[in-house]
Amino acid sequence: MAAAVQTETVAITINDIELHVPKGELIVESVKRLGLEIPIFCYHPRMKPVGMCRMCLVEVGFKQPDGSVRKMPKPQAGCTLPASEGMVVYTDTEMVHRDRKGVLEFLLINHPLDCPICDRGGECPLQNNTLAYGPSTSRFLEVKRHLPKAYPLSEYVTLDLERCIQCGRCVRFTEEISGDSQLAFRFRGASMQPSTFQLTDFESRFSGNVIEICPVGALTSSKYRFRARPWDLETRPGLCTLTPCGTNVFYDYRSGRLVRINGRTNEDVNEEWTSDTTKFGHDALYNNPNRIQVPHVREGEAFRAVEWSEAYAAVLGACEGKRTAVLAGTMLSNEDYYAWQALARTALATNHLDLRWQKTLLPASQMLKARTGLPGVQYGIADLENALAILVFGTNLAADQPMSYLRTRKAWFRNGARVVVAHHEASEAESFAHVVLRYRPGTAAELAAGLANLLAPELADATRIATPEWTEAQTGVPADRLREAAEALRGTEFAAITTHGLFDEANGVTAYQTLALLTSHAGGKFNGLVNHANEQGGREMGFAPDLGPGGEAVTAGMNTAEILQAAAKGEIDTLILVGCDPIRDFPDTALATQALENVANLVLVDSAQTEACAYASAILPMALPAERDGTYTSSERRVQRMERILKAPGESKAPWQIAMELGLRAGSSAPYFHARDVMDAIAEQVPAYAGARYQDIPETGVRLANPEGLTRSNDAVVQALQSLLGGR
Amino acid sequence: MSFEVFRDVAKPILAGFGITARRLAKPKATVQYPEERREQFPRTRWRHVLTRYDSGLERCIGCSLCAGACPARCIYVEAAENTDQERYSPGERYAVRYEINMLRCIFCGYCQEACPTGAIVLRKDFELANYEREDFIYTKEMLLEARRPEPVAH
Amino acid sequence: MAEYKLLLEHSHEPEFRTLHGYLARGGYAALNRAKGMERQAIIDEVKTSGLRGRGGAGFPTWIKWNGIEKEKTRPHYLICNADEGEPGTFKDKQLMETTPFLVIEGMTIAALATQADAGYIYIRGEFVDAAKSLRAAIDEAYAHGYLGQNILGTGLNFDLYIHMGAGSYECGEESALMSSLMGERGMPRLKFPHAPLPTVAGVWDQPTIINNVETYAAAVPILAKGGEWYVTLGANTKNSRGTKIFSVSAHVNKPGNYEIEFGTPLMELLDLAGGMKGGALKACVPGGSSVPMLNAEDCQNAILAYEELWETGSMVGSGGCMFLNEHTCIVSYTWRTAQFYAMESCGKCTPCREGTKWMLQILERILRGNGQPGDMDLLMEITKQIDGRSFCGLGDAAAWPVAGAIKKFPEEFEYFIKNGRSMVDTPEARAMAPRWAQRAFSAV
Repeated sequence: MAAAVQTETVAITINDIELHVPKGELIVESVKRLGLEIPIFCYHPRMKPVGMCRMCLVEVGFKQPDGSVRKMPKPQAGCTLPASEGMVVYTDTEMVHRDRKGVLEFLLINHPLDCPICDRGGECPLQNNTLAYGPSTSRFLEVKRHLPKAYPLSEYVTLDLERCIQCGRCVRFTEEISGDSQLAFRFRGASMQPSTFQLTDFESRFSGNVIEICPVGALTSSKYRFRARPWDLETRPGLCTLTPCGTNVFYDYRSGRLVRINGRTNEDVNEEWTSDTTKFGHDALYNNPNRIQVPHVREGEAFRAVEWSEAYAAVLGACEGKRTAVLAGTMLSNEDYYAWQALARTALATNHLDLRWQKTLLPASQMLKARTGLPGVQYGIADLENALAILVFGTNLAADQPMSYLRTRKAWFRNGARVVVAHHEASEAESFAHVVLRYRPGTAAELAAGLANLLAPELADATRIATPEWTEAQTGVPADRLREAAEALRGTEFAAITTHGLFDEANGVTAYQTLALLTSHAGGKFNGLVNHANEQGGREMGFAPDLGPGGEAVTAGMNTAEILQAAAKGEIDTLILVGCDPIRDFPDTALATQALENVANLVLVDSAQTEACAYASAILPMALPAERDGTYTSSERRVQRMERILKAPGESKAPWQIAMELGLRAGSSAPYFHARDVMDAIAEQVPAYAGARYQDIPETGVRLANPEGLTRSNDAVVQALQSLLGGR
Repeated sequence: MSFEVFRDVAKPILAGFGITARRLAKPKATVQYPEERREQFPRTRWRHVLTRYDSGLERCIGCSLCAGACPARCIYVEAAENTDQERYSPGERYAVRYEINMLRCIFCGYCQEACPTGAIVLRKDFELANYEREDFIYTKEMLLEARRPEPVAH
Repeated sequence: MAEYKLLLEHSHEPEFRTLHGYLARGGYAALNRAKGMERQAIIDEVKTSGLRGRGGAGFPTWIKWNGIEKEKTRPHYLICNADEGEPGTFKDKQLMETTPFLVIEGMTIAALATQADAGYIYIRGEFVDAAKSLRAAIDEAYAHGYLGQNILGTGLNFDLYIHMGAGSYECGEESALMSSLMGERGMPRLKFPHAPLPTVAGVWDQPTIINNVETYAAAVPILAKGGEWYVTLGANTKNSRGTKIFSVSAHVNKPGNYEIEFGTPLMELLDLAGGMKGGALKACVPGGSSVPMLNAEDCQNAILAYEELWETGSMVGSGGCMFLNEHTCIVSYTWRTAQFYAMESCGKCTPCREGTKWMLQILERILRGNGQPGDMDLLMEITKQIDGRSFCGLGDAAAWPVAGAIKKFPEEFEYFIKNGRSMVDTPEARAMAPRWAQRAFSAV
C-alpha cells in the first residue's frame, strides 16, 4: 500500500543549506527537516493548504544554469509552495522578517487584546508568533471592530468573533475532515466571519476538534470556559474509555481535577482528532459529584461506611455457597476483566458472567474463533485509509466508530475510495457514499444475501434465491442500486465494516455472519467491531459465560439477559455488578429493575452512585480508568496502556485489586502487587497477549495479530442463511 | 581600693554608664510599638489587597497571571463568568476564588507586576501573625478592598 | 494617429447584432479560414500577431492556448471573463452588447484551436443588456450551426453557456471566477507555482483557457486578416501589437470607448474624447482604477502601450482611462478608490482583508480633518505590506492607487493632514467630496 510508493526527490536549498526532499513536498514541511520553522496560522498538515494568512511568506528563487539564483519578485507562501528542482528558499532575510511583522500587525489591528481573560492565552499561536516575529507596537489609531463575544455556536463550542483571524481552519475541518460542512464564511472582506450556514447550532460529532485547531481564542470550549489557564494545568497522556476506538488523548487536570481532554497524536488510531463523546464525555464521569468514597454495607434502610476488610467479609459471606452471577460494564481494563473472571470461576464457582448489554447476545463461542479473538478485525483503523472500496453495513459509523468513520471519509476524500453505505436509516456516511443501500428495518440479512449472490459465486447454492430482484422485493433496495454497489466492491480488497449493533436488528446475527462469509469469499477484509469501550478486551480476557481467557471453552453459564431473567425470578442469590447499572445499561429497563429487586444480595462495585445503589447490600468504591494503571483493547484489537493520571477519590480501588483481595480472602488467588503482574498472568494464559506485557507495549499501542477469516462456522452460517431464505 | 581594682573594674563601669548618660540626651531609635508606629519606606511591600474601580467593580478578572508569575506558587485563582444579573468586574470574567497562602508568600511583588488591571497590590499592612496555619490562607473576601461608600448625591 | 476601429468598426450598426447582418459585414470569415488550418497553425497565427491578454495583465495569449494538452484525454473548457468590474472600464460591456458575434466567433476559434468542449461566458451580474444581446446571438448561432454539434463541418462540438455573476469584483480574478463558476465561494485559488496552471487543471480540474472578452474578439481579425497584418498595428511600440479599446471617462467632454492603435500618445486619446471638461488636466488614471495615477506632466509624455506606460509609472491595465481636472481633490479621490477595494476584498488573505480596511480608515480620518503627522508614511508602509504579499492581485490593485496618489501628489496629502482642509478648495471639489467631509471645503 502506501509504504511501497517510491518518491522522486529534488534538490532544494534552504538558507544556503542544500538538501533533498520528496518532489512536491511543501516548503513549510521541508524547512522542518533542518530544524527550522516557518510561522503559520492557516496551514494544517492534515488539511489542504490554502495560503490565506500569509504568515509563512518566504523569499524564493531558482538556481540558474550558471549557478546564480534568480529570485522571484514577490515573496511566496511557504505553506502552498511545492518543492521543485533547483528551488532556493530564504526564511531568514530582512524582507521575510518585515513581511512577518506586517502580517502580524494586520492580524492584530482588529484582534482584541483580551488575552488575560482568553482561554487560549498562554497556548495561543497568535501570541507565540507575535512574541517571536511580531512588532512591539501597533500603529493602529482607529477603533477596533466590535462583534458579538462569547456567542454559543453549540452546546460545546463558543465563538468569539472579535478574536477570529479568518484563517479558515475550522471551516476547512468541517469540509475536509469531519465532512459535515457545518461551518462556512459569511460576508466578505474585513467583515468576513465563520459561522454556521443559517446561524443554526453547530451540530457535529467532531465539533470539539475546531477548538484545538483554532490558532486564536475565537473558538473555545464551552465546557472548559474559564476553568483554568494553561499554566495552571498538568497534562498527561491517556486514553479515551468511552468510545471503542482507543482514541489517544491528553488529560489536562488542575489541582487533581480533570478540566479538559485534548487529542493526542497517534497516526495509527486517531491521527490527532477526537470525537465529541471523547472530548466532552469524560468530564461528567470524573467530576461526578456523587463519587463513592468508602465502602458501605447496608444496615436496614441505611448504609454504613465500613473498612474494606469488613466490606470484603460481607461480600464473601453473601457469596459463600450461593448462586452467584457477575455483570460488568464495558469501561474496565483488561486486568479488571481478567481478575474478575478468575475470581468468579474459582472463588465464586460460577460461569454466570457477562459484560454485554445489547438486546441480542450470541454465545460468545460463535463470535470468538479458537484462541485468537473475533473472527474479523482484519483491517486496522489506519489501514482503512488505503482501502479502495469500503462497505459500511448496518451501522451509523460516525456514532458507533468515530475514528473508523474519519478514516473511511479520508479514504474517500484523499484517495477517492468508493464507499457503499447500507443501513436502515440515514447516517453521516451517506454524504460521501458512492452508493446508498437504504434497506427496510429488519431486512439486513436479506440484503447481505443479495450482496453475496452478486459478489460470492462460491455461495451461489445458498443464495440462489437472493437475486437482486428478490432482494428488492424483500428489502426495498432497488435491484440496480444493489448491482451498482456490487460493481463498486467487486475485484477490490474491500473493507466491510459492521458492528455488533447489527445483532439488535431482526436476523441481525445471520446478516452479520453472511456479511463475514461473503466478504471472505469476495476477497475483502471483514471488520466486525464491538461498539463499547473495552468490550473487545473483556471478551478476550474470558469475561464471557461460555469462554475462558483466550477462548478456552468452559461449561456455558448464563449471559446478561439470562442472568437478569433468572434474578427476576429469584433464582440468583447474589449479583455482583462491576461498573455497570442494568437499569441504565440494559435495553429492557423493567426486567433490570425487577431483577435488582429480587436479588437477595446485590454487591455493587462502582465509581459513583447509580440507581442500582437503592437495591445494593454492599457498595465498594471503584477507581475510574484514569485513576489507575491498566491496558485497554480497542475495537481494532489494539492494546494500549494508560498510566495513572488522577488520584482516585477516598479509598477507591482498582477493580482488579478488589477482585484479587476478595480472592485472597477466599484463599484462591495469587497476590498481584501491580497491574503489571496481572498483565503478566494474562500473557501466559492468552497467547495473543504474549507481546502485550507492560514492558512490551509501545507508546502507540500494539495491534494484536490478525486472526484468520471466518472458516470454522461456515456450515452453520450457510444453514442459517438457507433457513432464512427458504422460510420466505 | 587598689589602682588595679580601679583600673580594671570601676573605670570600665563608669565609662559604660557615661555612654548611657550621654545617650539619654540624644533622640531615641526605638518607638513604642504597637502604640506608636513608624512611617514605612515608600516602596515597602507587605500584605496584598485586591482593589476596586471607582464604580465599585472589582479590578480582578481572574486571569491567573499572578499565579503564573508567583515564584512561590502561593496564589490560587478560580474564575467564573459575569452575567448581567451578577456582575463583579467589567468584561466577561471574574475571580470566584482568590487565595494566597501567606506562609509561602515571599512578598516579591511579581504578582503586582504581572497584573494586567492593577488589581493585586502589595500595601503596607505588615501585621500578619496568627495562631493557626489555616488562618494564613487569605481568601478573596479578606483580600478585597472594602467597597467605598457611595458618593452622596447632591 | 486617430481612432483605429477594428473591433468597434460596426458597433454602431444594430444589424451587426444579428447573424445576418454579421455575415453581411464579413462575419465568420475568420472561422472559415481557421477551419481549414491545423490546430497548431491557429495558435501560431495568434503567436505571430503578438496578441496579449486585454483583461489587465497583458499575458501573451498564444502561450495559454499552446499550454493545453495536444492529445486530448479529458474535457477541455473555455472561459470568457466578462466580469468587467474595474471602475472606469466598460469596453467589454459595449463589445458584448453591440458585437456579440465577434465574441462568439473568437471563442469558437479558440475552441477549435484547443479542442474545447464547452465555453462559459462569465458575465457580471449587472450587465443584463450584454447578457440579453449575447443570449440572442448564441441562440441564433445555434440555430444556424455556428455552435453546437459539428460546427461548420469541422467536427468540433462546442457548447456555449452564459453564467451570470453576482457582482463581485473579486470574481473577475481568473481563479476566483473559476471558483464562482463551480458554485464555490468567489475566492481566488492557488496559482502557479503553488498549483498547476489553469491550462493543466482549471475549472473542474480540467484543462481550461480563460481570456478576456476583448482578447477573444481580437482573435477574429487576427484569423481573418492574418497575424502578419495584425502585427503591423502598433509596430512602433516595444512589445504591444494591435488595437486596444480604452474606456475614457471622468472630466472629458465626450466620454466613451475609443479604439486606438498601441503607441498612441495619451494626450491624443484625450483629444479624441473631446478634451477636458470643467478645468485643466490634473491627473490621469490610464488603465482602470487599480493602476497608479499619472500627473499632468507625466500625461504629456505617456504613450499608450504596455511597456511604455510601465516606464512612465503606470499600466495599460484593462484600459479604463479616467482624466481628472484641476478641481479634483486627490485625497477624496483616493478615499473613494480605497473604499471600493475595501468593500470588494474577498477576505481570504490577511494583507488585503485587513490592509484595505485600515487604509480606508486612515483616509477617512484624514478627510474628517483628523489626520496625524505620520499618516502619509503609514499609508505608504501599509501599501508596501500589501503589495505583493496578498493572495491575488486584488491586494496589489488596492495598494497601487493609494501609493501612486501619495507619490504624485504628496503636497495635497500634506496640506490636508496639516490643515484638516482640502488644498483644492473649489465648489466643484466640494461637490465631489463625500457628505461627511464637506467641512474640509469652504462653503459656497
